[in-house]
Amino acid sequence: MIAAAFDYVRPATLDEALEHLAKHGEDAKVLAGGHSLIPAMKLRLSQPRVVVDIGRIRDLHSMRERDGQIAIGALTTHYEIESSDFLKRSCPLLPEVAGKIGDVQVRNKGTIGGSCVHADPAGDWPAAMLALDAEFEIGSPRGNRTVVAKDFFVDMLTSAVQPDEILKFIRVRVTAKTTAYVKFAQKASGFAIAGVAAVVDKARKDVAIAVTGVAAKVYRAAAAESSLRGLELSATTIATAAQQVADGVDPLSDIHASSEFRAHLARVQAKRALELAASRG
Amino acid sequence: MSTTIEEAPKVEEAPKGAKASQKYFGRAMKRVEDPRLLKGIATYVDDLKLAGMLHAEYVRSPHANAKINSIKTDSAKKLPGVVAIFTGADVNDKLGTIPCATPLPGGKSPDHKVLAGARAYFVGHPVAIVVAETRAIARDALELIDVDYDPLPAVIDPEKALEKNSPLTHPELGTNIAFTWSLSGGDVESAFKEADKVLKIRLIHPRLTPMAIEPRGCVASWHAGESSLTLWTSTQIPHLVRTLLPGLIGIPENKLRVVAPEVGGGFGSKLNLYAEEVVISHLAIRLNRPIKWIEGRRENAAATIHGRDQIGDHEIAIKKDGTVLAIRCKAIVDVGSYCQLLTPAIPTLTGIMLCGCYKLKAVQMEVTGVHTNKMSTDAYRGAGRPEAAYIIERIMDLVASELGLDPVQVRLKNMPEPTEFPFQTATGLQYDSGNYQAAFNKARELADWPNLLKERDAARKAGRLFGIGLSTYVEICALGPSKTMAAGGWEWGCVRIEISGKVTVITGTTPHGQGQETSFAQIAADRLGIPIEDIVVLHGDTATAHFGRDTYGSRATALGGSAIVMSIDKIIEKTKTLAAALLKSTPEKIEFADGKFFVSGEAENELGWGQLASEAYVAKNLPPGFEPGLEASSFFEPPNCTFPFGTHIVAVDVDRDTGQVKILKYIAVDDCGKQVNPLLVEGQVQGGIAQSIGAALMERTVYDENGQLLTGEFMDYAIPRATDIPDYVLGSTETPSPSNPLGVKGVGEAGTIGSTPAIANAVIDALSPLGIRHLDLPFTPERVWRAIQQKGGGS
Amino acid sequence: MKLAAKYAFEAPPEKVFAALVEPAILQKCIEGCEKMEKTEEDSYDAHLKIGVAGLKGSYVGKIRIYEKKPPESFTLQAAGKGAPGWVKGTARIQISPKGEGSELQCESEGQVGGVIAAVGSRLVEAAAKKMLHEFFRKLGEQLG
Repeated sequence: MIAAAFDYVRPATLDEALEHLAKHGEDAKVLAGGHSLIPAMKLRLSQPRVVVDIGRIRDLHSMRERDGQIAIGALTTHYEIESSDFLKRSCPLLPEVAGKIGDVQVRNKGTIGGSCVHADPAGDWPAAMLALDAEFEIGSPRGNRTVVAKDFFVDMLTSAVQPDEILKFIRVRVTAKTTAYVKFAQKASGFAIAGVAAVVDKARKDVAIAVTGVAAKVYRAAAAESSLRGLELSATTIATAAQQVADGVDPLSDIHASSEFRAHLARVQAKRALELAASRG
Repeated sequence: MSTTIEEAPKVEEAPKGAKASQKYFGRAMKRVEDPRLLKGIATYVDDLKLAGMLHAEYVRSPHANAKINSIKTDSAKKLPGVVAIFTGADVNDKLGTIPCATPLPGGKSPDHKVLAGARAYFVGHPVAIVVAETRAIARDALELIDVDYDPLPAVIDPEKALEKNSPLTHPELGTNIAFTWSLSGGDVESAFKEADKVLKIRLIHPRLTPMAIEPRGCVASWHAGESSLTLWTSTQIPHLVRTLLPGLIGIPENKLRVVAPEVGGGFGSKLNLYAEEVVISHLAIRLNRPIKWIEGRRENAAATIHGRDQIGDHEIAIKKDGTVLAIRCKAIVDVGSYCQLLTPAIPTLTGIMLCGCYKLKAVQMEVTGVHTNKMSTDAYRGAGRPEAAYIIERIMDLVASELGLDPVQVRLKNMPEPTEFPFQTATGLQYDSGNYQAAFNKARELADWPNLLKERDAARKAGRLFGIGLSTYVEICALGPSKTMAAGGWEWGCVRIEISGKVTVITGTTPHGQGQETSFAQIAADRLGIPIEDIVVLHGDTATAHFGRDTYGSRATALGGSAIVMSIDKIIEKTKTLAAALLKSTPEKIEFADGKFFVSGEAENELGWGQLASEAYVAKNLPPGFEPGLEASSFFEPPNCTFPFGTHIVAVDVDRDTGQVKILKYIAVDDCGKQVNPLLVEGQVQGGIAQSIGAALMERTVYDENGQLLTGEFMDYAIPRATDIPDYVLGSTETPSPSNPLGVKGVGEAGTIGSTPAIANAVIDALSPLGIRHLDLPFTPERVWRAIQQKGGGS
Repeated sequence: MKLAAKYAFEAPPEKVFAALVEPAILQKCIEGCEKMEKTEEDSYDAHLKIGVAGLKGSYVGKIRIYEKKPPESFTLQAAGKGAPGWVKGTARIQISPKGEGSELQCESEGQVGGVIAAVGSRLVEAAAKKMLHEFFRKLGEQLG
C-alpha cells in the first residue's frame, strides 16, 4: 500500500500547470481531490513520476451563473455542490447527485472535475452531466476548447481531456425542479451498479435519461427517451419507457451484479427516477 | 443511528452513599482504556520505533497453485537500502513448521513451512521476504524480484475436491481430505424410526473475512547480550505464541518475551501463530537488528485466516406435534491449504452445539475437512457456534413451516424448563444454567409481538414482502476445562497491594477491546473496598503477566476475573493474620468489610489497606511466620464452560424489484449471567450483531475458479457501516453461571451467534408467501431478486 | 472470462490468416506491444504495456501460435506477468470465406491474477473486450 516514489509540484496558475504537463508528458498526472488517483497510486496501478497538484488554482474553484447558464469550476468539491443553496434552487440535480457520492470524507475532498475526467463507468457525475447536456471547457496548449457531454465521456476511464490538458469549467443550464437521481450502490465500494439521472422538461414534453454503472461508459437511454417524447408523463408511459432503458447496451458483469441483474436494475431505477422527477413539479 | 436499551445503561455515577464494596460491580462505567485510544496516544505495533530497526515486505504468490521454478533476487538486492532477501531455501530447513494445536486423529496435513518451497498453495502464500532500511524501499524491491511460476489447476470447490478425478492440493498426501470427525450422541437410529416425518435441508455457511481494522504486524528485537528475543505482535495470544515459538525458532521459552501492544481488533483472526511472525523473529536474530513488518489490507484479506465455510446436509427426525427428535448432519468444511492453529477444532464446536437450546434425543454429525488452494479457515468470532445456531434455528423454522405450526410454539415445545438445569445435552455437554423461556418472553414483550404479527399481516395485504425472524440461541464459551483444551484452559491472575496501598492487578488474559482494564478494576475495587482510581490492570506482556491463556472464546471475564477473585481472597485471608497481630486479637475474630479489617464487634478500631500494606512491606511488626508482602496469584481451573443464551427478533422488508433487504426492527435479549459492566455488555452485543448483519446481508469471501481472491479489498468485500445498522432494542436477563465465582457467562461472541439466524429466518419468512422455502446466505440483492424471479414474484 | 466475437474483413481468408501469424503485423495490432522477438518458430517474447486509460502496467511474457491449419484456423496463446499481476489468454481463431472477403470467429478465454484481479475485476472483462475489438479493428486497417 505504498506508492512508488514521485516528484510533486503545486502550480499556482493554470498556465503553470499546463507547462508542467507539456514538459513531462505521460510521466505526469494531475492531482485534484486525490480520491481516485491516490488509491491507484497506492496500489501501484498508476505510477506517475510527477504529480501536478492543481488544488491551489483559485480560478478553478468557483460557481457563477449568467443568463441561465451555470459555470462550475472543476475543483469544486462534491460537498460544496451538495450544500449549495444556489444550486438547490437553480439546478437541484447537482446537489442530489453530489450527496450520493461515496461518503463524507470522499465528498469533502473529491472534485466534480476530477470525477468527470476520471470517467469511471460507475461514477455518479457522468450520469448527471450527460442528462444535463453539460459542456466542458478544457484548458489546452493547443488553445482552449469546449466539448459537449456526449463527446466528453469517450470510454471506460477515458474522457476527452488529453494527458496534457486540464478541465477548467463545467457549464450546465438552469433547470426546472423536475429532476432526479436514483442510485443502486455496490455495497462495498459505494459505486453505482445502476444510477439513473432523469431530467424532465414538462413544458417541452421532453426527457433526458442517463445511466451509469451499467455499461462500460455512461449512456443516454435513447429508446426510452423517444418513447416519452411529446407525451404526458403518467405511470403507464413511464413504465413503458423504463422497460427500454437497457436496450442496445452490453451490461458489465462482476461478483456484485450479473449483466442480467444490472439491466434489470437500470429499468427499475429509471422508472423510479422518472416518477420522482415528475412528482417534483 | 441510536440504540434503545430497555434498561438503559447510561453511564452511571457511583450510587450515593454506596458501601465501598458495592460501588462498581454491575455499574455502567466508561472505560479507562478509551481516553488514550481516542486521543491517539496508545501504542500499536506500527507505533514502535526501535534504534536500527529494519522493515520487511513479503513477496506473495499471485497464483493459487503453482510450481516455483526459480526466484531471481539479484536486481532487488542491488537496490540501495535493501539489506537482505530470503526465500524458502534460506529459511525453511532452519525453522519448525507452523503448528496446528488441535489435529484430529488420522488427519493429514502437510508440513506447513514458513515460506513456500517448491510450490505455492494459495494466492497470498509468502514466497520471499525483503528486509530494507525503509518500508518504501522494501516495497520497491518487491517489483524487482522475478519469480518464475508454473501455474497448475487450482482446487477450489470443496465438493469437487472430493471427487475421484480432482487435482490434489497436496499431491504427497494422496487425498484432499484433511481430516474427518464424527460425533454421535443418543440413539440416532431409533429416533429416526420413531419419527413421523424426516425433513431434509442443505445449509451453507459462506466463507468470511474477519477484516479487523488493524491488519497484522510485528516487531522483533534480538538482545544479543542476553541471547533473548522480544516480539511485539498484534495478537490475541502472546502467551500461546511464547509457548509455540521456541520450538520453531530454537530460542528457549524463558528467553522469549512476547508483547501484545494495543491491538486494533482480533475477532479470532489474531488467535493464531502465523508464518510471518516466525520469519520476522528468526531474521531479527539472524541479522542482529530489530525488524518490523506491517501487512497491507490486501495481504490481510488474502493471508490472515478466514472464517466459517461449512456446507451441511441435514436430516431432521420430527413428530407431527413439532417435537424435534434428532438431527443427522454430514458436513464439509473448506479448510484451505493448511490447518492453522485451531482449524480442525472449529467444526467440532458446531457439532457439540448442534442441538441448540432444545431437548433433542440424538445428534449425529460427520465432518470432512477438505484441503483447497485457499487461505486457511480458523476461528472467527463465534468459531463454529454461529454455524450451529444457524443450523438449528433454520431447522426450527423449517419444522414450523412444514407442519403448519407457530415457530414460537415449536421452540417453546422443545426447550428444557429452567428446573432441568444443569442440563445434559444429547451431544454430551452439561449446560450450566439457563432460562430460555424468560429471555424469549422478554424479547417478545419488547418486540410487542402481537402487534408485530399484525404489522406483518397488514404489510402483506398491501403487497409488501415483510418478514419476522426469530433466533433462540445458546452458545458455549469461557473455554474451558483443561481436559478439553489443547494446552490448558485455566486462567491466571495476580493481585498485588503495593507498599503505598495502591493496587496492581495482572491478568493472563489479553484484552484487545473487551475492556478488562475497566471491568477487572471494578471487580477488584469492590472486593477490596478500594477506590477504582487506585487500581491498575496490566496485561499482554509475558514479562509482566507471567502466565496466561489469553483472550478468545469469550473467556476473559469468567476465567480471568475468577482468578483475580481467588487472588484477592487469598490476600484478604493473609491480611487477617496481620490485622489480628496489630489489633492484638486472633485471625478467627477478624472481620473484613468495605475495605476495613476489625475485630468482630469492635468496628471503631479498624485498619485500612494503606496501613496494613505499609506494615506488610516495612515488616518491623510482623507476627512470627508471617511472610512479608501482600500479593497473591492464582490459577482458576473452570469446572465447565458457560452457556450464554438469548433471543433475537428481527423484522425485515424486502424490495421485490431490487432484492434489497431492509431491517426495520431489531430486538435482542441476551443473558450473559451477571454483568460486571452493562456498558461493555451492550458494546459487545452491538458489535456482534453488526458482524452478523454483515454475514447475513453482504459479506462473502470470493475466490474465482482459478483461486484468485476477488474480495481482497474493501472495494469488493462489504462490511456494515454505521448507516447499515438499525436501531436496536436491547434487553437482558441474568441467569448466573455456577461455573465460576463471579456468576458471569461471557458475551463477546453471543451477538454474532444469535443474530444471523434471526435475520435469515426473517428474510425467508418475508419470501415465504412466494413459496420460497429456503435461501442461502448472504442475502445479496441479486440472490434475493433471483429467488423472487424464479417464483414469479416480481412486480 | 470467456469472450466470443465475429469480425468481417474484405480480404480473403488466406490474406487474413497470413497477416495474423506475421509477427510484424501482430505487433502493430496489439496496442501497447513495445517489443516482440521471435525465440522459436511461432513463439515470441513480448513486452506489453496494457491496461485502461492511465492504469497501464508493463508485462513481460510469451506469445505462441499453434495448431496452425492455414487458412482456416489456429490458436494463439499469450501469457505475461508484471507488477500489477499476471495475464493469460487463449484465442481460437476460425476464418471462413464470406462473399469476396472473410468472416473471422474468435473464441477466447482469459485469466488474470494479482492486483488487477483483486481490485480491478469489475473492469477486467470490459477492458479485455475493448482490447479484443481494438486488435481486430487494427487488423482491418493493416489489411488495407
